[in-house]
Amino acid sequence: MFFIPGQVISALTFPGVIVHEAAHLFFCKLFRLRVFNVCFFRFGNPAGYVIHENSENFTAQFFVSMGPFVVNTVLCVIFCTAAFLPVWELKVTDPLAYFFYWLGLSIGMHAFPSTTDLSHLWKAAPALAKKGNLLAIVSLPLSAVLVVLNYGRVIWADLGYGIAVGVLGPIAIFRAFARF
Amino acid sequence: MNQVVCQECSRNLSAKEAYELNEKVLCGSCAKAAVDRAKAGGQPAQVTRFVDKSICARCKTYIGEGGGVVAGPVRLCLPCSELVQNWPYPQWLKLSLIGLLLLLVFALFHGRNYFQAGKDLYRGEQLVEQGEYQKALPYLREALKIAPNSDKGALLTAKTALLIGDVETAAKALMGHEGGRFENADKPEFREVDDLWKKANSALEQLGKAAKLEEQDGNEVAAAKLAHGAAALYPQLLHVDIVVDEYEEGVAFVNKDYDTYLSLAEKDWKLWPTGGTASMLSSALACKYAVSGVVSYRQRSEEMLAKAKELSQGNKESLDRLAEFEERNHYRLESREIINKTEYDRRFRGGKNSAK
Repeated sequence: MFFIPGQVISALTFPGVIVHEAAHLFFCKLFRLRVFNVCFFRFGNPAGYVIHENSENFTAQFFVSMGPFVVNTVLCVIFCTAAFLPVWELKVTDPLAYFFYWLGLSIGMHAFPSTTDLSHLWKAAPALAKKGNLLAIVSLPLSAVLVVLNYGRVIWADLGYGIAVGVLGPIAIFRAFARF
Repeated sequence: MNQVVCQECSRNLSAKEAYELNEKVLCGSCAKAAVDRAKAGGQPAQVTRFVDKSICARCKTYIGEGGGVVAGPVRLCLPCSELVQNWPYPQWLKLSLIGLLLLLVFALFHGRNYFQAGKDLYRGEQLVEQGEYQKALPYLREALKIAPNSDKGALLTAKTALLIGDVETAAKALMGHEGGRFENADKPEFREVDDLWKKANSALEQLGKAAKLEEQDGNEVAAAKLAHGAAALYPQLLHVDIVVDEYEEGVAFVNKDYDTYLSLAEKDWKLWPTGGTASMLSSALACKYAVSGVVSYRQRSEEMLAKAKELSQGNKESLDRLAEFEERNHYRLESREIINKTEYDRRFRGGKNSAK
């Protein structure tokens, strides 16, 4: 295992940071939450942030926290799908494909919500889950896994997630399409 | 920096260090003492950080007591209030998003050949998994046209071709992959193909030896044995059963077992109707006519020779072989004497043209 400063990683994968924060902002605006400040990218820790008001509405909390996770994951799959075949399966030397793969992986690497976002969900979810709130039920295991993965960033869990999504996603898509 | 006065001890302090309890501004130590008192008296006490409501919480502009707009726990000036209510997407972000979408469309367009090749590769792989090798091969061939250096594509194509006895296609797939080099020779996929490839080549080598042996009279049995060995080693080889039969026909001819010779030739003609199998059948029928005198054998022998010529049209090598055979077959039918090619060459060609 080797150590690379987080700022260097963020700089190398800056599109992912921007997409993550843009998704945060999008969901804040969607649920009409006040946004006090936004930083899409900077050389610091955190590399980007959206400061917004807290919401009592669990649906808003869920989407504001998990929205970037979904958006980054989906974009990672799409960009990696466009580049997966030439890079991984066909072994074609195509610089453009490598560029798309970098873009896809960068976006996928920054999918995880912050521990602060997750802790809000984690606090609110149990009571609502008992009342049968579907989002709360879904968010409990999801948050638990994501908290663990978040701590796993020190051992490159974020890169691992990006690669897994960027490889397994396209494989699943192409295997499904090949049947038709 | 804004200064406030603690309403308990009258100390001046920075607004940043102040707290608020029951609408009273307190310093840190007074806030702590007030909380302790409240707790001792069983009263709830919620201390919050002091927010100076006379300045905008965002831009720090002075808005005066009761001025500005309340936004949750803070007070903001009008422009900041509008901003936090509807934070705009920056122009560069919108342009980047458009750029990203255009890139995506371009990526998908740029990759259309790869998608087709990938689809063919996966379809071929699925068919191989189902054991449908004949159906899989065209898909895999198409995939290799786009991606000859794909390990998976080359190995799958080679494996599939070898499993249906198409050694030529397998060779093309393997040699087309970086001149036959593969990064990881320990991969099970590679070892499987390598094993098949070695068997196929060994079988072809044995068949080559058998062909050379058969050129010399008296080695028919040994040649047939080698052919059987090749077929056992690599049973998938295309038409290997017919090749083995042809060697067995040679043995039957030497042993003057013309019934076996004819039945094998008939079987091969039905299995694979080509100029070669037709001429072999013509020869067997001529032998049967020579020993029995039954005219129908002669008629069929002549018909099969005509068929052989018809099927060999456009293939000069086959036509040359047929011309040579026709002369000997004619002699066999006219004289009803069965002699092998070497004897025929010796008698009528001055010992030349002895290759079988």
